[in-house]
Amino acid sequence: MTPPPPPPAESVAAMIRPTPLLADSQTNRDVMAVFMGRPGLGWLLLLGLCAAGLVTGALTWILQIYLGLGIAGYSHPIFWGVYIVTFVFWVGIAHAGTLISAILLLFRAKWRNAINRSAEAMTIFAVFTAQLFLGIHVGRIWKAYFILPYPNQRALWVNFKSPLLWDTFAISTYTLISLIFLYVGLVPDLAIARDRTTGWRKVLYGTLALGWRGTSRQWKAHTRTVLHLSGLATPLVLSVHSVVSWDFAVAIVPGWHATIFAPYFVAGAIFSGFAMVLTVMIPVRRIFGLEHIITDYHFENMTRFLLLTSVIVGYAYGIEYFIAWYSGVEAEQTSFWLRAFGPYWISAWIMIIFNGVVPHIFWFKRARTHVPTIFVVATLINIGMWFERYVIIITGLSREYNPAVWGHYTPSTAELLIVIGSFSFFSTAFLLFLKLFPVIPISEVKELEIHARSHGHGAAADESEGQRLRRMQEAH
Amino acid sequence: MPEFDRREFLKIVGASAGAAATVGCSDPVSKLIPYVVQPEEITPGIPVYYASTCLECPAACGLHVKTREGRPIKLEGNPDHPVNRGSLCARGQSAIGRTYHPDRFAKPMRRGADGKLAAIEWDEAIALLGAELAKAGGRSWVLGGTMGPTASEFLDRWVEAVGAGGRVVYEPFAPEALVGATKTLFGVETEPIFDLSGSDLILDFGSDFLETGLSPVEHARQLATARDAAEAGRRATRFVYIGPRLSMTASNADEWLAAKPGTEGLLALGLANVALRNGGGTEAGRAVLAPALARFDAASVAQQSGVPADAIERIGKALAKAKSPVALPPGAALASRRATATCGAVLLLDWALGAIGGAVQLPADDGRRRSSYRAALALIDSMKAGKVSVLLVHGANPVYSLPAAAGFAEALEQVPFVVSFASGPDETTARAQLILPDHTPLESWGDASPRPGVRSLVQPTVRPLRDTRAFVDTLLDVGRAMGGSVAARMPEGSFRTLVEQAWTASGADFKQLLSVGGVFGDARSAGISLAGDALQLEVAEPLLEGPGQFMLLAVPSPLLYDGRGADLPWLQEIGDPVTKITWASWAELSTAAAEQLGVEYGDVIEVETVAGKLELPAYPRGGIRDDVIAIAVGQGHRVGRWATRDGERRGVNVIEALPSLTDESGGRAWLVAKASARKTGGHYRFALAQHSQDQRGRRLGLATPLAALAANGHGAPAASAAAAEGGGHGDGAAHGEHGHLKDFEPAKDSDPNSLYRWGMAIDMDRCTGCSACVAACSIENNIPVVGEEEVRRGRLMSWLRIERWVGNGSLEGGAGLDPILPDEPIGPVDVRHTAMLCQQCGAAPCEPVCPVIATYHNEDGLNGMIYNRCIGTRYCANNCPYKVRRYNWYDNHIHNWPEPMPLMLNPEVTVRGQGVMEKCTFCVQRIASARQTAKDQQRPIADGEVTTACAQACPTQAITFGNLKDESSTVVRKSDDPVRGFRSLHELNTRPAVTYLAKITRGPVEG
Repeated sequence: MTPPPPPPAESVAAMIRPTPLLADSQTNRDVMAVFMGRPGLGWLLLLGLCAAGLVTGALTWILQIYLGLGIAGYSHPIFWGVYIVTFVFWVGIAHAGTLISAILLLFRAKWRNAINRSAEAMTIFAVFTAQLFLGIHVGRIWKAYFILPYPNQRALWVNFKSPLLWDTFAISTYTLISLIFLYVGLVPDLAIARDRTTGWRKVLYGTLALGWRGTSRQWKAHTRTVLHLSGLATPLVLSVHSVVSWDFAVAIVPGWHATIFAPYFVAGAIFSGFAMVLTVMIPVRRIFGLEHIITDYHFENMTRFLLLTSVIVGYAYGIEYFIAWYSGVEAEQTSFWLRAFGPYWISAWIMIIFNGVVPHIFWFKRARTHVPTIFVVATLINIGMWFERYVIIITGLSREYNPAVWGHYTPSTAELLIVIGSFSFFSTAFLLFLKLFPVIPISEVKELEIHARSHGHGAAADESEGQRLRRMQEAH
Repeated sequence: MPEFDRREFLKIVGASAGAAATVGCSDPVSKLIPYVVQPEEITPGIPVYYASTCLECPAACGLHVKTREGRPIKLEGNPDHPVNRGSLCARGQSAIGRTYHPDRFAKPMRRGADGKLAAIEWDEAIALLGAELAKAGGRSWVLGGTMGPTASEFLDRWVEAVGAGGRVVYEPFAPEALVGATKTLFGVETEPIFDLSGSDLILDFGSDFLETGLSPVEHARQLATARDAAEAGRRATRFVYIGPRLSMTASNADEWLAAKPGTEGLLALGLANVALRNGGGTEAGRAVLAPALARFDAASVAQQSGVPADAIERIGKALAKAKSPVALPPGAALASRRATATCGAVLLLDWALGAIGGAVQLPADDGRRRSSYRAALALIDSMKAGKVSVLLVHGANPVYSLPAAAGFAEALEQVPFVVSFASGPDETTARAQLILPDHTPLESWGDASPRPGVRSLVQPTVRPLRDTRAFVDTLLDVGRAMGGSVAARMPEGSFRTLVEQAWTASGADFKQLLSVGGVFGDARSAGISLAGDALQLEVAEPLLEGPGQFMLLAVPSPLLYDGRGADLPWLQEIGDPVTKITWASWAELSTAAAEQLGVEYGDVIEVETVAGKLELPAYPRGGIRDDVIAIAVGQGHRVGRWATRDGERRGVNVIEALPSLTDESGGRAWLVAKASARKTGGHYRFALAQHSQDQRGRRLGLATPLAALAANGHGAPAASAAAAEGGGHGDGAAHGEHGHLKDFEPAKDSDPNSLYRWGMAIDMDRCTGCSACVAACSIENNIPVVGEEEVRRGRLMSWLRIERWVGNGSLEGGAGLDPILPDEPIGPVDVRHTAMLCQQCGAAPCEPVCPVIATYHNEDGLNGMIYNRCIGTRYCANNCPYKVRRYNWYDNHIHNWPEPMPLMLNPEVTVRGQGVMEKCTFCVQRIASARQTAKDQQRPIADGEVTTACAQACPTQAITFGNLKDESSTVVRKSDDPVRGFRSLHELNTRPAVTYLAKITRGPVEG
């Protein structure tokens, strides 16, 4: 086995030379300040609020387990309600992380580096939140382990034909890969944190850093691992939401049973995922003053993605209606007619306008670079995407084949408390993450700088950190 | 290390094992305790059936009470009984709940000085009543409902023995006017017996014979029999309903004429006139009646009744041509102050047409005591006058069922000592000083005589659950306690002795009688001739009290009857067969009237008559005359766990708005008041058992015109009319132009090694919508009732429902939150009833989506459900196009089976807990038990050996259950109908095991 060729002397020198990496230290300090600093009042208040929502949601869930799902607003024949809506919503959110980390890495889109850590963290928390809903949704959570296929004395086996089982596999695989991805990326940063902290943090980071020393061997292994993981994770971005979409597409419910569902859901997932990254990162950037690392350039690129996926999603909406008409199936036509003009028309129009119309503002450069506009549109997209799932699930179920058993569903207080609890769970986790781990991938940002410098793009003295980074990224 | 000897080791081992064992016990251990002394007739696990009689209404159907380990668990029809022939209506099915009602009196109760009831001992209660009776003497009276001959005869003797003032029998819906009319016309005081089974033209003048008429189960069967003949092509049968609203009975008619209520008599005479003029009827009829009827010409009758003259001419001519026509006189809802004349006119029509002695039998009077409203009113008068000191009330709830205007409640204040024999609390016991709870019919001896010639036994099937005593036994004890001459006149023994003596007087074997259930003979008319003054009947428009735009129609409820069913939760939750409203009162009015009042579906209106005001939600519909407001009797109770709503009244009691008036023969008149209505501004959300009655042209309930049936008698594909209706219906059509319906063989959807593929054929033409099957299913399968609020959320648990479809529907139906009701036009009726239950699909959409294989296809082709395995993802229910899966949102077992109701649970069927999906499995427990028997005898299960609870209960045998793999089975023969057979939502390719036979629309009567 031939040893790998030695790196060029110049870059080796750049790597081992402790100085003059002023910019490096600066980045270290900036990012470390975010999570090492004393928690601010705002952070504490926010955490308190989220924790309160989380506790309320958890207690409601316990009550629901004790009394039964009857305390939710379910109504025959609407057997799936906001729990599944929110489940699909969170699975969708979870897509941004992997997309940004894995696919964009493979495509060498360097602008992702500043945001990929937060996107990955969001993925993890979103997947966890989504998984909570699988437990919240089932009627007998104390028997929910029946869904796991393992040899057992009960001689029970699972049904591999059921999309819910595919879901189980898809989601757990995705959780596992995302977790590994996040962790592997964190290791070098944890080492930096380890070197700059004392006390319990040092123990924590030291343990998690797995003895990272920053040797070239380690870096090489690290880079390769990330690359390979990206290769593994990339199909997952497409598969997970495809599988989730099959929960619906495989069923015979009018409004669910459509072949377009897999690409439609994947596009929707990326759409909502990016919107959520923006919704979360805009305030984070502002609060922690990270404008020089996460630049408007990043945001602009993300809005381009929003625009693209919005067009795909809008196309899917149109095709659904076209096929309903074209199929000639009365039940299908009725379902779609009543979607827009029946009892749930508000939800349907929220979905169409927020997801299909509003994002078109990003055709304009001014909108793409105006952060408040981006924030508002991203939030509207988040709302719209939640309603998209609501519309698909609820309107589909409420007007099926037999008009004798058509029904109406309104979420109950208990359901809303649990849904709010899930958002609180996500926020709590993210807030804690902000204070415990480097939310900006230090090593990756620095890698960019090193690359930039080694290719001769020295920093001009009067250039601000942000402008410099931006220029460097554009160079790539 | 310390010493660790053998003893120490064993101690620790023992303690750990004990601890482990204790931790392991999460559920409390319940033990099955075997009989110490095995009762002779009982084998644990094997049901024992006792023949008895249903006493829910005067029709007195025969019962087979199914008991398990000494507890009745289900009431089934006695197949040998001439009234019901093995079927049983929803009210009869639900009657089992009376025995297990949680609020039954546990002991005799006495009202103390503080006005509260307190339990006392029987001896004390009997002594007390004895003393009161002795004191009161002739000032004591007995008021009660109809009772069996033995008890009734005893009561007469007892009243005489204790020197009481007398006895009044009062039954709210008793056909007093009909009996009065029979007496006037033919000089015999008897209840006519109608037999529709041989008729080719049935005219129902609003008797609602399929719901609350003289004998609903029997008449439903006879209607189906009559139509069978038509189907076989021997002759055409038509059924015309004449009445102000499209009731459940009317929904089964071929033509509906919306006559103004109270003018049925005029219409009958007008029809008789046309028929006789056209050469119809008997010689005698023409000779005697034709001249007298001349003044009832079609034009003037049309003007008074609101039925078009050409319809009268047409139907009159059809009557003339018909071989065996029969007319049924109006029931309680249409009993006006001229009800006797009206009934008389209808009987006159029957006589003129030669039906008397044929389809209508007038047996000689059997001398039984009849209900008399006039006598009840007289009793109220003497009560008001303070002439009654002791009133004994049994088998009736007069405080509820007598009109407020009659003043019974006030009169009761004047009676110092009121005794009730009710087994559970009601409005009357709330005003009684002493309650001596009776057994329920399942705990008691007794008998019944629904009509001359038929006598039916009641026998106890369980030891009384509470410390109760049979009414007759209590009276015997009281008589004996009174001592002296009274005691001397009390017969020996107990009520059982009396019953046995009465039944064995002719030397019959009592045990033999008990096993059969009674004596089932026939009674025929004996020498009937028209009385001289028959033509003196004053047939005219009804007399109505008060002002108002509407006529107030108080309709006997098909499920709650006169209100006695209101505290049986199944009856509350099944939903009215027409409106599908559960747990509430509603006012039916026409769409036009509603528009004029400015009210919409569910808006609360105030209905005012001279006697009172009612506030209740409106239910606008097409199928009612514009000048009528119809309100069902039965709700508005003040007492009762299920009859009230959280202690408040549930709905309204329409009786409170009716003046107290009688007809010519002293019977109670119900059609007595005009009413005005106005909007109050309130709104009420109905809890519906069915959302929309508009099927939007989908393949759910199809119909075929009679003509198409005759034309396609050879099974030619095509053209069932259903296909002409627009959607390409009728599976016959599947082979023709609508090739998208995939053909399949239901018999192949089970394991090739299995001998069985269970299936069903449901004949929509026979289904009347009565919902007996729904009640039977609930009780057989331990299905909980969930209450109004849960029904409103669609959380009804019923595995089987009757879907009522008005015609083929349009695309507007059911789109909004409130179902828009399809128009139900006057004229030809096209209402279809579909019994919807699990279709046991061969390619069931529910099966592949369950992640844990809780629902699966078993080897016999059933779509099985393993409750223990279900984790409650509810995916199966989403994917079921028929929506027949039900989910336990709560632990219904805990919430809805208050003690002692768990005792009536069928031990063969698992009680489902919280979080589990459930559904119909064709009564798989019955199949399993038949399989055991067959296996023991080393043979396959024979056709007809096992049937489902729904099929068994059905009065018209609309449901046929059987093995689709058995070529010779009835179900295969029925399913193979090339014209009428269709599968619900066939285009989804679910391959159902249930074949529906399209309803036959016979169209209007041809003149």
